[in-house]
Amino acid sequence: MPRQNARAEKNKDIGVLELVRESLVAVVKEMRANIIHSSYSSIIYEGHDFSCALVSADGRLLAQSLDDNPLHIFAVPHSAREIVRVFSGDIHEGDVFLHNDPYTGGTHLNDVLMLYPVFSGGKLVLFAAARCHWGDVGGSTPGSLSGRVTEILQEGIRIVPTRICEKGKLNEPFLELLFQNMRNPAERRGDFKTMLGTSRKAEQHVQRLLTRFGVEKLLSSIDELMRRSEQVMRERIRACPDGVYYAEGYIESNGNDHEPIVARLKLTIDGDRMIADFTGTAPQTRGPTNVGPSMAPNAVCTIAKAFLDPKTSINHGSFEPIEVIAPVGSFINARWPAPCGGMVEVKALLDSLMVAALGQAMPEMIAGALKGGANHTLIGGNDPKWGSFLFYEYPAGGTGASKDLDGGTVVRAFSDGDFNSVQSIEVVESSLPLRVESYGIRENSCGDGKNRGGFGMRRCIRVLSDSASLSILSDRNVIPPYGVMGGVYGAPNHFVVKRGENLVEPSAHPGKVAGFALSDGDIVVMETAGGGGYGDPLERDPEKVLKDVALGYLSADEAFRRYGVSISPNLRIDLETTRKKREEIRSARVFLSLQLVNTELLEGFKRIVELPRAAATRLSVAEGALVEIVTPDHASPRAWVRIVDGSGDTLRIDAATLALLAAEVGDRVEVRAVRTAAH
Amino acid sequence: MKTGTHIVGIDVGGTFTDILCYNAANHVVLSAKVPSVPGNQWRGVLEALHALGIDLGSIIAFVHGTTIATNTVLEQKGAKTGLLTTEGFRDVIEIGLTRRLVGGLFDIKFVRQAPLIDRSLRLEAPERVAADGSVLRDINGFDYSAVAKSLKDADVGAVAICFVNSYKNASNEVKAGEALRKLLPGVPVTESAVLLPEKGEFGRFSTCVLNAYLTPRIVDYLKTLTAALADRGVKAPVSIMTSNGGAMTLERAAATAVSTFLSGPVGGVNGTIRICEMTDTANCITFDMGGTSTDVALIHNRMARTSHDNQHEAFPLAWPQLDIHTIGAGGGSIISAQPDGTLEVGPQSAGAIPGPACYLRGGKLPTISDANLILGRLPSERAISGGLKLSIDAAREAMAKLAAQIGRGKEDVQELAESALRIAVAKMAGAVREVSVHRGHDPRDFVLFGFGGAGPMHLLPVADELFVPRAMIPPMPGHLSAFGQMLADHRRDYVAVWEGAANVAKFSDLEKRIAELRVQAASQLKEDGFAETRQRFSFSIDMRYAGQSFTLSIPWQDTNKSWEPLIAAFLARHEETFGYADATNTVQVTAIRLVALGLVDKIDIAFPLGEGKDVVVEKRPVWFDGEVHDCKVYDRTKMNAGYIFEGPAIVEEPGCTSVIPPKWRVTVLPSSALDCISQRGA
Repeated sequence: MPRQNARAEKNKDIGVLELVRESLVAVVKEMRANIIHSSYSSIIYEGHDFSCALVSADGRLLAQSLDDNPLHIFAVPHSAREIVRVFSGDIHEGDVFLHNDPYTGGTHLNDVLMLYPVFSGGKLVLFAAARCHWGDVGGSTPGSLSGRVTEILQEGIRIVPTRICEKGKLNEPFLELLFQNMRNPAERRGDFKTMLGTSRKAEQHVQRLLTRFGVEKLLSSIDELMRRSEQVMRERIRACPDGVYYAEGYIESNGNDHEPIVARLKLTIDGDRMIADFTGTAPQTRGPTNVGPSMAPNAVCTIAKAFLDPKTSINHGSFEPIEVIAPVGSFINARWPAPCGGMVEVKALLDSLMVAALGQAMPEMIAGALKGGANHTLIGGNDPKWGSFLFYEYPAGGTGASKDLDGGTVVRAFSDGDFNSVQSIEVVESSLPLRVESYGIRENSCGDGKNRGGFGMRRCIRVLSDSASLSILSDRNVIPPYGVMGGVYGAPNHFVVKRGENLVEPSAHPGKVAGFALSDGDIVVMETAGGGGYGDPLERDPEKVLKDVALGYLSADEAFRRYGVSISPNLRIDLETTRKKREEIRSARVFLSLQLVNTELLEGFKRIVELPRAAATRLSVAEGALVEIVTPDHASPRAWVRIVDGSGDTLRIDAATLALLAAEVGDRVEVRAVRTAAH
Repeated sequence: MKTGTHIVGIDVGGTFTDILCYNAANHVVLSAKVPSVPGNQWRGVLEALHALGIDLGSIIAFVHGTTIATNTVLEQKGAKTGLLTTEGFRDVIEIGLTRRLVGGLFDIKFVRQAPLIDRSLRLEAPERVAADGSVLRDINGFDYSAVAKSLKDADVGAVAICFVNSYKNASNEVKAGEALRKLLPGVPVTESAVLLPEKGEFGRFSTCVLNAYLTPRIVDYLKTLTAALADRGVKAPVSIMTSNGGAMTLERAAATAVSTFLSGPVGGVNGTIRICEMTDTANCITFDMGGTSTDVALIHNRMARTSHDNQHEAFPLAWPQLDIHTIGAGGGSIISAQPDGTLEVGPQSAGAIPGPACYLRGGKLPTISDANLILGRLPSERAISGGLKLSIDAAREAMAKLAAQIGRGKEDVQELAESALRIAVAKMAGAVREVSVHRGHDPRDFVLFGFGGAGPMHLLPVADELFVPRAMIPPMPGHLSAFGQMLADHRRDYVAVWEGAANVAKFSDLEKRIAELRVQAASQLKEDGFAETRQRFSFSIDMRYAGQSFTLSIPWQDTNKSWEPLIAAFLARHEETFGYADATNTVQVTAIRLVALGLVDKIDIAFPLGEGKDVVVEKRPVWFDGEVHDCKVYDRTKMNAGYIFEGPAIVEEPGCTSVIPPKWRVTVLPSSALDCISQRGA
């Protein structure tokens, strides 16, 4: 009965497909477990800053687990494609490749990729890939990352596609050269061996799958799975309203001057396709806030996945319907010698642009912005008693609020891999000349809103050595995470050194610190950003405000000032005072009519709006102050103030600002001062 | 005068309470199964005892596995708990190390699980111990009255005391504990390092908080149960199963409530180890499949691995537990369609209510049980044990609806059922890989043991999936957990942080610390009622390369007289587990662990066998791999030792159905276990 056989075959496929998917993810999970349990860099075993993947022979992503770091979703296959291109036709059984070059698919230099080809019957079938953050890859400061570099050479060794093992024979001289150019070469060798051991075990596992399914069946099933993922993504995009959506945001500075660096996104949804066009984004900079070509697609696809298809496992198919345009030579697609240490900062900015743009098409998914990157904090040195030491954390903050939900407090965000971003206090204290003085929730740091953002973190670390220095690479220290739907920005990140009774700023550029000399007894105070709020804080249920006050997350004074909710010391709400205060806050808001000017209003990359003096007085803002134009239906764009004479109630903007606001000339909009010291 | 002879094991599950009773006088085993009584588990226990129909005064030992701890956390019904912690650290239990801990990637709407203690009940003490154990801020002179007042005013039912670095020096914690016990009489107090001197504040604090949170509920339950048992004339001491696979006294259970999370599932592991002894099996993997979940554990040389780095829901749990991996797939798991048209099994389960569609109790969605019925693996003509007659029409109808969702017809239900089973089997195989491959073992070197209500139905397909050539179905597979409890030795686990570089640190210091632990354990086992002759100790040493964080646990031999054998054992394990070893790197010791056993009398159980007559009950069509087989259905209770049969076959017995696919040969062993050998070759 041929018909029945065909059906049986087809039906068997339903089972086989799921089986292949589970089996591939099982390989990746096994690799993960292996790396966590045998690695040497604390950022790997504690921080889980690594990813594993299976990649096709032509460099497409076949499988990742839902535990892997989304930072690497595109970077891993991009690197793999580069290696395949360079060694085309010259890849053999027993070969192993390394790569970390940001300009050809890497992330930052610390993230080293090992690509391990798997053969069957003499034919290259796929690659096992592991990308791990090595604690140090050389460069000017311990841990290699810092906020004040001017060229990539200061960030460590750049590994272009390199065969480090040829037909089973390790290139020891090369490896020795490599490790000797990094701090703590023994530890680096350990991480290398961990990756090699893991890749070997993954190869064995894949061989078992090949025996079981056969090469053809396995590869055709993988193709089918990718086709299906693509179908799902196309259907989901088609369900979004067609249109063009704009978003814009800034990196605060490149660490060498105070000029903000702009990224611009024009997102087009057209049937079952999505085009993310970053044309208009600023050129690459001479600071660490640049990325190579893989990060813009990475950001776009991370958010597309989260908004449109968060549940199914990841493969290349999901991303076929998405086109990303990132101009070569811009800071989001930089070339030599632009440093790329701040790639998490840039990726976070691009994430936030995508959330702001796609959120206009899918308002039920939009959320307030996050802390703006990794917040790399490194304390390192060479102590007579402790030897060469390095403390490295990249602390989480609050997450953004969304429809129906407050943001989360000091927790990895939806776009982050689920790893420890701070280390165990008892591990820090027993292995480093440091003592953690306190660790907890940074009170009052939330972005206010009908739903408030999550609270950030406060962590104080006392230095018990005279040889330590501090490096920080962090953004959102000046321009805070945005709120949405009228919600307010969260408190910005803040890093300061407490020396005796004094607070010392470790850099003229907030969040960008390189090798600041610390003294015995200094306390490094790390404060992370609160998540952006959702909706008007005056619409927040007073009972919810009361709860935050009762639990000490928010002080009663701040609750009154920011939410207008009056709460007595014995935790009762005074409804009448609350009503009045809310009315007062509401009437103090400044609304202006939009007026279009026919020239571009820009100063450098900064968006300018022209504000009548009277309005500036009401807002208490001076020339050059940062404001946001509150948009009730998406993320509020930021601009800097140019004060013009007059008492009129118009806000003069250019055409690009109008597009960002998705508004019409004559619309009345609220202008809000961004006062980051207020938190 | 009559002396007691009955030993009872009793396992309270989500759906059923199982009881097994061994009569030492005549070696007869009795069993019963009654519905569990949620919220009042002890009632189910009494019902089950009653169902046995024995003189309750004749019970000499009573071992009990309970799911109270799991349920309490799930239902958030633990005590209102207060925390006293080091100044500056009250948020540790809320924010941990910033992880989500339970999924959440790409999930914009992720909400982190709230901590068990409200922030307003997290109080701070002016104290501090340094990493080397020296006291930086002594707690002497601290006035506890404000703390006590806050806790009293809030009417807390339990208190956790969690100080930074207390694993190195618990003196401040102990002082605070003494003070608060005096000020808050009747309120149980747990000190983190007294409970468990493990390094890592988040894991230790979380474990301590869980313990405090659970204590009042567990104590209440134990009191109610023992009173009810005494009332019915039970004189035997009650022992509680602990997550590490042993039994413990009631006093110990009350002090370490957190040790009962796996009180139920460990019984199956113990039972399996006993069957291993009876069948001369050394290495096996347990496959314990019930209605909503499947528990899997690896047994190597008749020992289950103990894991110290666990998690319950989103709460880290540093308490030692048998390494049992649980997945949410069982007989009641619902089959559904994914967005891309592939099938999904679980994690939703139909549970007992509304149940699988074929139970006709209101369930409309197809489940794994429905799939088994559609494929003829469960009987549709006769009632299954328990008197329930399954409706194949309802099962087909539910499956047909699913078929329509993915653009298939009614005629496809058979194939869909088989696909769904294949996926369920793949998931369960994944769980087996988790405890084997991920821990450096090849599952093909292990015998797969299938038990629990649904285990023997899926055991051999899982074995096929993993190329495991041998599997075993133990006697009374539906009661194996209760059996394992009945046998349990008492067990206490100890950890001592001991840090030093192998070859550099003095070996005699290590030996000395080991000797001290042995003395401590011996005296505590004696308190539990175990004389020296009944005490057994096994030590292991946590080791790693300098610079690594995770450790491998290397068994300690009393014959070790220098570092060399320990280091050699570590290198071999590292190579085996992680794919490389490095003899030039420094090896460090981080902790000494001890498992101390108090041995109970071994019981000489003989499971009943049949006479080998009327073994085949009927023949019915059963689907395997897209083909219908006219399949023999066997009555297991009629089989004699040495009886051999081949798949495809169905084996029925009270409480359980076993499925033997083609290419398997089964031999009935003298122990009455079914020894299944794959015939498909390598």
